[in-house]
Amino acid sequence: MSVLRIAPRTAVVLALASAAALATFTWPFFIPAHPESTARTGEAPLVFLVMLPVLVALILAELSSGGIDSKALAMLGVLAAVNAALRPLGAGTAGIETVFFLLVLAGRVFGPGFGFLLGSTSLFASALLTAGVGPWLPFQMLCASWIGLGAGLLPARLRGRTEVAVLAGYGAFAAYGYGLLMNLWFWPFSLGADTQLSYVAGAPVLDNLHRFAVFTAVTSTFGWDTGRAITTAVAVVLAGPAVLAALRRAARRAAFDAPVTFAPPGPEPARPKAAPQSGTPVAAPQPGPDVRAGWSGGAPPGEG
Amino acid sequence: MTDRRTGAASVRADSGRGPRRWSAARLPRGLHPGAWWWWALGLATAASHTTNPLLLALLVAVTALVVVRRRGDAPWALAFRMYLVLGAVIIAMRVVFRIIFGGGQGEHLLVSLPEIPLPAWAAGIRLFGPVAVEQVLGGFYDGLRLATMLVCLGAANALANPKRLLKAVPGALYAVGTAVVVALSVAPQLVESVLRVRRARRLRGATGRGMRALRGIALPVLADALDRSLALAAAMDSRGYGRTAAVPAGQRAATGALVLGGLVGVCAGTYGLLDSTGSGYLGLPMLLAGLAVAVTGMLLAGRRVRRSRYRPDRWQPAELLVAGCGLAAAALTLFAGSVAPELVYPPVSPLTWPEVTPLMLLAVAVAAGPAWLAPPPGLPSTRPPTVAVPVSDAMASTRASDPVTPLPGGRA
Repeated sequence: MSVLRIAPRTAVVLALASAAALATFTWPFFIPAHPESTARTGEAPLVFLVMLPVLVALILAELSSGGIDSKALAMLGVLAAVNAALRPLGAGTAGIETVFFLLVLAGRVFGPGFGFLLGSTSLFASALLTAGVGPWLPFQMLCASWIGLGAGLLPARLRGRTEVAVLAGYGAFAAYGYGLLMNLWFWPFSLGADTQLSYVAGAPVLDNLHRFAVFTAVTSTFGWDTGRAITTAVAVVLAGPAVLAALRRAARRAAFDAPVTFAPPGPEPARPKAAPQSGTPVAAPQPGPDVRAGWSGGAPPGEG
Repeated sequence: MTDRRTGAASVRADSGRGPRRWSAARLPRGLHPGAWWWWALGLATAASHTTNPLLLALLVAVTALVVVRRRGDAPWALAFRMYLVLGAVIIAMRVVFRIIFGGGQGEHLLVSLPEIPLPAWAAGIRLFGPVAVEQVLGGFYDGLRLATMLVCLGAANALANPKRLLKAVPGALYAVGTAVVVALSVAPQLVESVLRVRRARRLRGATGRGMRALRGIALPVLADALDRSLALAAAMDSRGYGRTAAVPAGQRAATGALVLGGLVGVCAGTYGLLDSTGSGYLGLPMLLAGLAVAVTGMLLAGRRVRRSRYRPDRWQPAELLVAGCGLAAAALTLFAGSVAPELVYPPVSPLTWPEVTPLMLLAVAVAAGPAWLAPPPGLPSTRPPTVAVPVSDAMASTRASDPVTPLPGGRA
């Protein structure tokens, strides 16, 4: 199921912007040697630092340009809040990362477009809540968004144990990929220009790749990234089936797929009167009344 | 919010009398978040164009001064210290990496550490070895520059209200901004949800610990949150969310073409920037032009969204002054760099003592302007009067120099 339909134009925008964005991570590999080019003047990192937030904004605007259904939007906000609340749980403990687990599962259930938006909104909300806004934030948002997008693109027919296994494997892979990309982004900034592990402008790509591999192996792959991958995979295996069921139940209740049709002002006078009051399409299955009643009633029965 | 209204009212009442008008403009209120971001980005630009440690240290000091004088008491305002710590970590990391992995040869040997050769897979890399002053100093200068830029952004975080900033996002990002606002409002409610589920579990006599208890709490909380989202969607529907304006098909096609064309330009520009044989026009100019075109398309697409704003933030003279201070500081630093590059970028070899020119001092002084030019931060406005008595008294004592504001239940 896909909550947010990705139109062909949106797919093209997503691909183009992602390609340009990938360059903002991988530029140290391709930077030319001759010193008179713009990329060498030390401006390149700054240009990319300015460029990426704009690209992320473009993708987000394009994804939501068809208008997000209010139910999808509320679901997005609530899941982003849960994700943002999960994130500080692991912070500080070496390598324990709790964000990707729900992101992968939600992307799987609600589709690629929703997964992309959820990745961005989760990290943005979490950064605002814990005051982690900085130049790294757009890069983190984009990486997380790619993870959510990829989870939505996994083959749809899998169910049961195979599905959980595939999701756990994807979660581990995504955790490593996230660590690698963020390291790649941080590489020029953390080292500066002329240590033995820094990138060398104009050197062959393989040479720079080797330096980067050593850098990332020394600094994080065996510690942080492995911890992150293990946490994600274990969380998906342990809680995956139950969370998937909860998410699918919510998706069914929200009835995202229901065709929106408005009944013409027909012979019965009651119907057109009801429509403007509730604001919900008449033909859509109505999850409304019981939800609203249960909510406004305060604590569910049995908890008072 | 209350302050804004009283401020506007007294301006109208006292128009024509100079001193009172000035004090009315300085009534406590939250500045437009965009103004703080422009100021901070200006300072970050200034910091990025120098490695002079004295100038950078002055910029950090000025930033801290403005933050301390003009921040409110919101949670995001208290995180400035974290950015300072992070900056220190960056500097330490740069220096330590220089010492471990070498690089940046110099003549003045500081200490000679034993070398450790690495195994074959890391061929060509040695650890430790001789450490030169130039090498450590180069790392320190670089790290300080990066840390200063970070601290500037941290200042914007501490000073600007993110919720107000989300209100000002362009129309095309309205849906995503709304989702973030929903997330920010729901997150505190999750705590309440967790407490409720725990209480219900205890009442049922469940004493399980560890994994079982975690599932017993986490899943109901998740289900509760998902149900909440449906209720929220119904509430949004009933309040008219999702109203869109009819945009002619031609205009829709035009915005789409602008976004796509701009992105193609961005890709070409990026390629030109990184291509070794790239000619001049295919690099940075192409990239910037592509970005501009795509952003124009995005802004045009936002006209589809129709919304009204409740108490919009306006750009008033104070906002313009604060933003101008940041931009002027950046311009002055750039100018100082073109006048005396060897002072703005002090060389590490040969070792030279960094100096500060009057032009740099002027840039720093301008950057400090908002500490006095910006109005004091708004007082918490949503407090019931009965609770506000002791709190506002305590606040009044710290802000004795500020003009008296009609606080509910505060001092007279």
